[in-house]
Amino acid sequence: MLLAVLCGLLSIGAAASADEETAPRVVRVGTEGVYPPFTYRDPETNELTGFDVEVVEAIGEEAGWDLEFVEAPFDSLFPALDSNRIDVIANQVTITGEREARYLFSTPYTYSHGVIVTAKDTDDITSLEDLKGRTTAQTASSNWAQVAKDAGAKVEYVQDFGPGVELVVQGRVDAIVNDNIAVLDYLATSGNDQVKIAGDAGDEVLEQALTFRQGDPELQQEADEAIATLTEDGTLAEISERYFGADVTVQGGAEDVEVGASDSRTTWEVVKDTAWPMFVGLVKGNIPLTIFSFAIGMVLAVAAALARLSSVRVLDWIARAYISIIRGTPLLVQLFIVFYGLPQIGVDLDPYPAAIAALSLNVGGYAAEVVRAAILSVPRGQYEAATVIGMDYGQSMRRIVLPQAARIAVPPLGNTLLSLIKDTALASLVLVPELFREAQVTAAATTEYLPLYIMAALYFWVVCYLVSLAQGPLERRLGRYAT
Amino acid sequence: MTDLIEVRGLTKSFGDHHVLRGVDFSAESGTVTVLLGPSGSGKTTVLRSLNVLETPEAGIVRIGDASVDFAFSPDRRAVKALRSKSGMVFQAHNLFPHKTVLGNLIEGPVQVQKRPVDEAVADARALLEQVGLAGREDSYPSQLSGGQQQRVGIARALALRPEVLLLDEPTSALDPELVGEVLAVIRDLAAENWTLVIVTHEVRFARDVADEVLFLDEGVVAERGGAEVLTDPREERTRRFLARVLDAR
Repeated sequence: MLLAVLCGLLSIGAAASADEETAPRVVRVGTEGVYPPFTYRDPETNELTGFDVEVVEAIGEEAGWDLEFVEAPFDSLFPALDSNRIDVIANQVTITGEREARYLFSTPYTYSHGVIVTAKDTDDITSLEDLKGRTTAQTASSNWAQVAKDAGAKVEYVQDFGPGVELVVQGRVDAIVNDNIAVLDYLATSGNDQVKIAGDAGDEVLEQALTFRQGDPELQQEADEAIATLTEDGTLAEISERYFGADVTVQGGAEDVEVGASDSRTTWEVVKDTAWPMFVGLVKGNIPLTIFSFAIGMVLAVAAALARLSSVRVLDWIARAYISIIRGTPLLVQLFIVFYGLPQIGVDLDPYPAAIAALSLNVGGYAAEVVRAAILSVPRGQYEAATVIGMDYGQSMRRIVLPQAARIAVPPLGNTLLSLIKDTALASLVLVPELFREAQVTAAATTEYLPLYIMAALYFWVVCYLVSLAQGPLERRLGRYAT
Repeated sequence: MTDLIEVRGLTKSFGDHHVLRGVDFSAESGTVTVLLGPSGSGKTTVLRSLNVLETPEAGIVRIGDASVDFAFSPDRRAVKALRSKSGMVFQAHNLFPHKTVLGNLIEGPVQVQKRPVDEAVADARALLEQVGLAGREDSYPSQLSGGQQQRVGIARALALRPEVLLLDEPTSALDPELVGEVLAVIRDLAAENWTLVIVTHEVRFARDVADEVLFLDEGVVAERGGAEVLTDPREERTRRFLARVLDAR
């Protein structure tokens, strides 16, 4: 496993290898789910919907695809496509020269142009030229980030559009460059009157299309044929009219966009309605991830600690390298190596196993030194007593040393466990649905950031509190022999 | 009668310091051998070589039919066989703190010797009775006094049914008022003809129980003989040592 991680580190920089597989009948669609009205969860039903979702559903039906949606942050979508986690991105991906060099695009299904969003009382930004030297908030891999940079703006990176708007409102950044449709929808949905559209970001028309891997021309061709048919019979126009009151699937259509009514629910209702999906995310995501990762991590930790204490030089060296790598690299990077990197060398894990693998390795690396210190705290006489009653190494570890070390290790390992519980919030970046992801999804659709994030924090706090309550009795039980 | 224990030519050094410079001795079955000597004389190293807690550089240790020749890198099985011949009582008792008194006693018999639990428990109860601790089966070591702990340590060593019992300064870590109860138990063992090898500073006790006394100094056996070594030593250095030890009391 350690070697696999090392190989992953080495090969992460290597070029993506083209996928040789023929187009599968099951087509996995990557989409954000937090970018209304294009891709979001319906706040009433919690079902994935939106303009892009409906368009790709219509295309899939026409082309005879069996669709499987995978929700992930925008910045994760391209790595997911590269590593064959998904087959197509349906997420208002704008066609750019740079992207065309790496990916295949379908016929565009949206035509839009960029606008500049500022706080309502900002009056010195009305065009791209005014952005020079100012700060904007953008999603890292979005084309709008490039537009802002080209205009000479400093770019702060955010996960999606909504948090960017919050930064503008708070005055931490000056502006956002984004798609006019998305901005209009946001203003209508949120009822946010703290920001305004300050002007157009150039007069260039941008085209958004489905994105495929270079190795998947069949899929691209099937999509193009389907789009031609759906344009012909008015299906795309109908979907667009429903969302925007205009046909954005043809050039110039986006000028007349009228967006739908805002979510009428109160903050309290939003929080109440989201409590259950967040709880489900906790029970199906964070908690099983924690349990499995901690169990496997403890086995790794004991193994690494024993290797560190071993008289066999090589084992000590391997354990040192493992601990050093784990503690010296961010968990986020480890997750990305395991999930998006390793597939390039043929190690292809599903989201759950990948998240568990990365989290276990991480916990194991941190806990190894705790376990080692605990083993060292068991007096030498205990080994000698075990030896003279005839025990071998395995027996004396298992029956004499580790039970005593466990008592010493419980308080610091409690810390490790609490960290792990909170770290599972990162799992959504490798496509595992979990609690915080649910909060982000609803926050994007309703703009109720503060209450929903506080709610997510509360869930984590309650779980951690319950775990720390269990620590006392466990310590007493392990220490029952000491008076 | 052949000797039960035979030790020949033990040498051992820690860095430049030669702890043992060729120690020989033997002991018959049912005898009490007392190792005596100033601190650093090598007596504890000799004792710990008998069950290979220390590995001498050269020399032979034989107990019964098990022997290890340290001139060659010792074979794991031979070491295991030699260890199975003896039980050990440590200065600091080294009881397993996370196990009850009974758990300490049956750990070796059940886990290592694979004897049936019922039999090991019955044995253990008899041994606890013998060391005067009947009824303390379920106590943890931390709930016992120092003297009681050391008596459990003796019982644990006996539970393995060893041929030889090794005792490494069994009373040195005890408060003076607790020494008596532990010595009484050892005295009983001597009377029952157990083969004992004891490292101790309790000269008066040694006089009572010793069949053979080895006085070690600077890594060699400086003087050996019966208990009379302790009352009327021939060697000057033995005399000086005894004077020091007895004066300190």
